[in-house]
Amino acid sequence: MLPLPPGGAAHLFFLAAVAALVGGLSAIERKGALQLMLSRPIVLAPILGWALGDARGGLVLGVPLELLFLGGVNLGGSLPDNESLLAGALTAMVVPAGIAAGTGVDAPLAALGLALLLPLALFGRRLERAAEELNSRLMDEAVRRASRGDPSAARVNLRGLLLPFGAAAGICALGVLVSPVLALARAKCRAIELFALAESWHLGWAVAAACAVRAIRDPRAPALAAVCALTVIVITLAFRGAG
Amino acid sequence: MMRAAISTGPARRVSVRSLARVFVRSLFLQAAWNPRGMQNLGFADAIAPALADLYPDPARRAEAVARHLEFFNCHPYLAAAILGGAVRLEERVANGEASPQEVSSFKSALGPPFAALGDGFFWLALRPVAALAAAATQPILGMGCVAVFLVLYNAVHLPVRLWLFTTGYLRAEGVVEAVARAHMSSGTPFLKACGAALAGAVAARGVLDARLAAGTFDALLVAATIVLAWATLPRLGATRAVYIAFGLGFLFGARLA
Repeated sequence: MLPLPPGGAAHLFFLAAVAALVGGLSAIERKGALQLMLSRPIVLAPILGWALGDARGGLVLGVPLELLFLGGVNLGGSLPDNESLLAGALTAMVVPAGIAAGTGVDAPLAALGLALLLPLALFGRRLERAAEELNSRLMDEAVRRASRGDPSAARVNLRGLLLPFGAAAGICALGVLVSPVLALARAKCRAIELFALAESWHLGWAVAAACAVRAIRDPRAPALAAVCALTVIVITLAFRGAG
Repeated sequence: MMRAAISTGPARRVSVRSLARVFVRSLFLQAAWNPRGMQNLGFADAIAPALADLYPDPARRAEAVARHLEFFNCHPYLAAAILGGAVRLEERVANGEASPQEVSSFKSALGPPFAALGDGFFWLALRPVAALAAAATQPILGMGCVAVFLVLYNAVHLPVRLWLFTTGYLRAEGVVEAVARAHMSSGTPFLKACGAALAGAVAARGVLDARLAAGTFDALLVAATIVLAWATLPRLGATRAVYIAFGLGFLFGARLA
């Protein structure tokens, strides 16, 4: 029997609808509208986590994802990996799984979820490229309408938001719907596997921290980061005691 | 100030309400970003309310819209300055004081340099710094770190975007001088230095958290992974590096358990 969140299957479908709405909106906010950074992992994951019942769990996922994709920049025609899609789907899957398993979002569950969904960032980039190719058709339509004397030809612009919204909404909803499988996998793990997964999460966090240093594109960045890291470690150990 | 500029401007002018609508639509500049025209559809859609004021005749308005469907690309925030300037130049075109070609030249001349400026300041400096400040303060502030990120970023982003649009409209070609005097590019190295220091603090947090959770050996393992990952990331890429780290972590964890 698959573990379900309190409220059963009906509640799971409700959560899927919530995840679809939040995930879909984040997909259009990321590039097509506003760009207030509401779709960044450090914002999206806790917000979606809150909507699904565990904001803190969302934050546990959001911070390392933010660091991991900190250096991804959309410059001209080049596209970075789609961190928002990954953050939305991961939160949609892991938070309800944590609630159903009764563990919350802990390190083993987070590691398991990220290991399963990490390629979604690359898939999201390909999806975005496909959406942009389709937008060329909207442009052709606008040019055609303007040449026929239609002054509202450029209004087709907003139709470009539909595909990113729909795709992200579907993927995030699916994340919630498969969350009981992840909860079951987490529940079946033995102590040794849980310890190993927790260790994986720590080292994944380490890679995220390295990505954060790389994201600062400045020749002084590695030295400055190293000095600051050592200072923080020394001061903390001095206050806490090294033992 | 804007009202004064409008009242002393040419006979055909764009109303303040339409200017506000142009600004709001500029927030959707990349809704239909496409590889051939890039932000052209968004630009044409954004400027449409201004064109409606300037060209009451639908056929002339459609002609103006068609002109703005030409290729356009810029940083989405800095584009606000070009959009404001283009509205001002369109007023001149509507009053016969300028040719449509001048609007086109203005857009194509300012797009690339403003894109470089915006990319360097917003994407490569302000956003990483705001995110790292949030990540560094998470252990203390908890969920409050989300507010740290959003406030730090948008307290700069939104006023700058509004200022760029207003300045672009009021000064048209003079917006170049105004943006140059804003010293955006000179603030970038300082922001990057802050970002590097914050990244160091975040890395230290990873090491200390590992020590707290699993002991000194684990902390050393995390520290070594940070250094190794930093060195190999350009070749491996983030995804592969994460999977390798997960694999190593699983192996070490299983042995240590």
